[in-house]
This record gives sequence, structure tokens and C-alpha cells, in this order.
Amino acid sequence: MTLPKGFGSGGAGGSSSADVERMIGRRVENMTGMITVSFWAAILATFAGTAAGYFYYPWAYPTASGHFAFIVLTIIITIGYIFCVKVMEEGSNKNSNGIVLASVIGATVFCLFVSLYVGW
Amino acid sequence: MMLYMAQMPALIPKEVEIQRLKKVWLIVIAMGSTAASVEVDNFVDGSLHQTSIRDSAFTPAHWWLYSHFITLPLGWGAAAIYDRKIPVLRGPNNSMNTGLKMTILGYLATMFTIGVNEMWHFWFVEEIFAVPNHWMFNMGVVVAFMGALAYVVRVYARLVELGAETPGENPYVAEMYKMALEGKLYSRAIP
Repeated sequence: MTLPKGFGSGGAGGSSSADVERMIGRRVENMTGMITVSFWAAILATFAGTAAGYFYYPWAYPTASGHFAFIVLTIIITIGYIFCVKVMEEGSNKNSNGIVLASVIGATVFCLFVSLYVGW
Repeated sequence: MMLYMAQMPALIPKEVEIQRLKKVWLIVIAMGSTAASVEVDNFVDGSLHQTSIRDSAFTPAHWWLYSHFITLPLGWGAAAIYDRKIPVLRGPNNSMNTGLKMTILGYLATMFTIGVNEMWHFWFVEEIFAVPNHWMFNMGVVVAFMGALAYVVRVYARLVELGAETPGENPYVAEMYKMALEGKLYSRAIP
């Protein structure tokens, strides 16, 4: 197989598994930590955005409206998060169901807490 | 002889290609989530406009709307830069992917239309939906969406071609996957 410049044995033969490893970089199945951090960053940013709505612009955003937006967005972000982790790990031996479950439960509890107690 | 989906030669090792396609797919999922959230904002903004008919450009519902004008160009830009590492996603003559080209052309058309639209509104102020300057916005966006859809479908189809997408555990579904890859799923030869 022809490999890009800098890989392989200089025309003497095919690629080795070390070449393949070098071409891949960080494997997608090992990105769960980064994806999880991004998930939480998205949840917190969304909370901040809706909170800016009902704390600074109460004339525009009744608290209930901000909470409705936050609930729907939490659901959307969670679906995206689950897709990301499951697609990246399918076909590998990695299994991060525990981390995903903990994050989803954490986000649900956070979302319920915000909806019930913040901004009223 | 019937021609089905082009059989691309393997230019990089299969494992490398799957990893790279999945990285593009991560970007696609992130952009999809953003687009879905802006769909929600259509309702949030519509709800706000029930009480505030003429508002400013900078209400929270509008910031949220504008977020996708930042996120989607950054996301597509990242996909366009990164997919140079995936040979099957390149366009003719080693150029950019055809789907991405269509998307850029479509949005360039809408950007051109912004100027046309301003000239129109110089002498006719009222916003009427079905005026020719607005047709051009719609046509540009449709071309852009077709290109983006073609790109996303190509990435997914290649993941299926490479066997990275797991066929269903139901044996009948697995058989359909197999036939689809052989180009026989919707063949008239099968009664």
C-alpha cells in the first residue's frame, strides 16, 4: 500500500503497524474523556445562557421560558453526547457506559435542580 | 454491466481511514446538535415575538440564533481542513469535496443576495415573503443543504463500505446490509 511521505520503509515495502499507529494519532475510542468534558462545558454554557436570559432580561424571558429552553437543550446535548461516545467506541473493546450513565444522570439531576429552584 | 457505487481504491490503511472518518463524524454530530438547538430557538424567538413585535438584534433569543452562524462555519471549516487526510472525500483533481463546494457556492449566493435584498428594500420597505430577492435566499440555502447532505451521506456510506458500521443483529437486517453493499438491495432482478 502506498503511504504518505515520511511513512513506510522508503519504497522497500508495505506499512508496518507502527506506521499505522503513527498515522492515526489519538484513537477516537480514547476520546471519551474529552467528549465528556465537552458535554459538561455545553451543559454549563447553556445554563449560563438561559440564566442570563431570566436574570438580566426578565422582560424578555420569563423564568419558566428559560427553564423550558434549558430542559430541551439538555435533552438535545445528551442525545448528541450519547451518539458521540457510542459511535466512537463501536467496534472496539472500550466500554464507557458507566461514565455516560453517570454524566446523563448528573445532567438530569442538575437540570431538575435548576428548573425547580433557580430564578423563581 | 451495471455500475453501482464507485469502488474506491484503498489509498490509506482501512483502520486509519475509519478513525479519520469517525473524527469527521464527531464534528457532524456536534453541528447537528447545534442545528437542533437553533430549531428550538425558532420557537423561543417566536414566543418572544408574541409580546415584542419589533425588538432589537440583541435579545437572548437572537444571540442563541446567531450562535449557529459562528458554530456551523467553524465546524464545516474544521471538516474541510481535516478531510484532506481522507482520500475518498476529495473532489475531482484533488480539489475540495464536491458537496462542500456546493455548500460554499450556495451560501455565497445567499451572501450576494443580502446586497440585492438591501437594494430592493431601499425602495420597497415592507417585508413580503414571496418577492424575487427572497427566492434567491431560498435557492441558495437549498443548494447549500443539498451539498451538506451529500457530504454527510458520503461519510456515512464510506463507514458502511469499510465495515465500520455494525450491521444489525437481526439476521434479516444483516442480509439487507450485505445486499445493499453488493448493490442488489433494490434490484429488479429480485421479485
